[in-house]
Amino acid sequence: MAVPISQMWTVSSYVLKKKLSGNKRYPLVLMLEPLFRCNLACAGCGKVQYPPHVLKRMLTPEECFAAVDECGAPMVSIPGGEPLLHPQIVEIVKGLIARKKYIYLCTNALELKRRLPEFTPSKYLTFSVHLDGDREHHDFSVCREGGYDLAVEGIKEAVKRGFRVTTNATFFDGTDPNSVRGFFDEVMGMGVEGIVLSPGYSYEKAPDQNRFMGRARVRRLFRAILSNRKPTWKFNMSPLFLEFLMGDRNYDCIPWGMPAFNIFGWQRPCYLLQEGYADSYKELLETTKWEEYGVPSGNPKCANCMVSCGYEAPAVMDGFGSLKGFLAMVRGTFSRYNDPHALKLLNEPAPHGPATLVQIERGDHELEETRA
Amino acid sequence: MTAEVLKYTREQVESLELAPGATHENLEGWVPELATEEEVRQALEKAFDYRGDVTITTKSGERMEAFIFNRHTGATLADSYVQYFTPSVAEKRKLSYTEIARLEFSGKDRAAGKHWEDWVKAYNERKAAGEKNIALHPDKLD
Repeated sequence: MAVPISQMWTVSSYVLKKKLSGNKRYPLVLMLEPLFRCNLACAGCGKVQYPPHVLKRMLTPEECFAAVDECGAPMVSIPGGEPLLHPQIVEIVKGLIARKKYIYLCTNALELKRRLPEFTPSKYLTFSVHLDGDREHHDFSVCREGGYDLAVEGIKEAVKRGFRVTTNATFFDGTDPNSVRGFFDEVMGMGVEGIVLSPGYSYEKAPDQNRFMGRARVRRLFRAILSNRKPTWKFNMSPLFLEFLMGDRNYDCIPWGMPAFNIFGWQRPCYLLQEGYADSYKELLETTKWEEYGVPSGNPKCANCMVSCGYEAPAVMDGFGSLKGFLAMVRGTFSRYNDPHALKLLNEPAPHGPATLVQIERGDHELEETRA
Repeated sequence: MTAEVLKYTREQVESLELAPGATHENLEGWVPELATEEEVRQALEKAFDYRGDVTITTKSGERMEAFIFNRHTGATLADSYVQYFTPSVAEKRKLSYTEIARLEFSGKDRAAGKHWEDWVKAYNERKAAGEKNIALHPDKLD
């Protein structure tokens, strides 16, 4: 795992403290969206489709700090929109660092190189650069030729200046696992601290509804990608969450673990579903009908979700909340997940369309895998 | 989530190959009937989902352009309200369902026509025409 010891200590002591106090619902990462405006126009994006007067609105630094203080999560992820378009983003970041929050500033990095001199390297600040694959894949994914080169320039400059940098990628249906593995080699060669990845999710309000994988397909893809790892690959994520993506373990969604706050308020029930807003985190916790979400609820809107905002929190809580979980996390950190069946998956064509269910012969896998 | 929504068992969810997406309704320009309580509730639910502005006319005759980002549905219309932004006011505003006389889906639907397939088609055509630096650009804000 590529996460520094000080961050692990902060998170582990936070989780243990909450567990000892008997607190069952607590936040781990605040998803703070200071604006929705973006300098990309990715087809199918479900986050930026708003009228201009909404896109012009931004959270003030004071609103950001009030949300962070109320929620109390030790980590703050700043997605959007593109946070570097916020004229007060430096002030927001400084205020969060003063509060000793570990920040992941998620950016497409088109503006990163230009704005880097305004920031100061800190163990609390990580630039999490959106890169969806190699040059061809990324440019096509973000609908902008030249986007990859600008992002890589930003990454290299940030690494050179001593910033913590990770890349984050979202993979959709049809992703070629071999290409992704080659991409991992490429980004680790840039000197980043680690890789963050996620399966795509079918935002109900997104314009594009046809490119989203179901859970069986997600597990097969991530098993192909993440098994037989190279020692040079580092992931800035919980190893147990990666095992969840590979189908080696199961978790139920904890939407309150990564609550989202933006110009509308506290989003119900999570970062991905927009079923309404609460005026405070307390109101969000107390008035959201949590039993209506997640796989056990049978809610079709949650059926294909395996995204970190719902499932990484339980993995982290598992890893730091019990000796068994901790040992599994340590094992996962150093394992290369050698798996001959996954090697075979790498030689299969990327799946398209519905397929039949096949049991993969591997006794220690909890979940059924499918084969196109 | 309402009771009539299709529920999945865990087994069905775990074996899903492709996720069934939501259908995008073409609501731009729609003026719903608001004669009954049910019509009011349904129309405002759609307005909440709509990714564009609506024009609200209140029973007192005020007419406003609004982006509805939240709604609270209570047992009666009097207990129910929408929250919205208007282009000219910085603060969030709130309006009871009982105050709404007319609703028009007047603003451009910002989620319409931005499918992945549209991008793939456009990209291939522009590439074949020899274009360089092909990109989609965000809509102008002014």
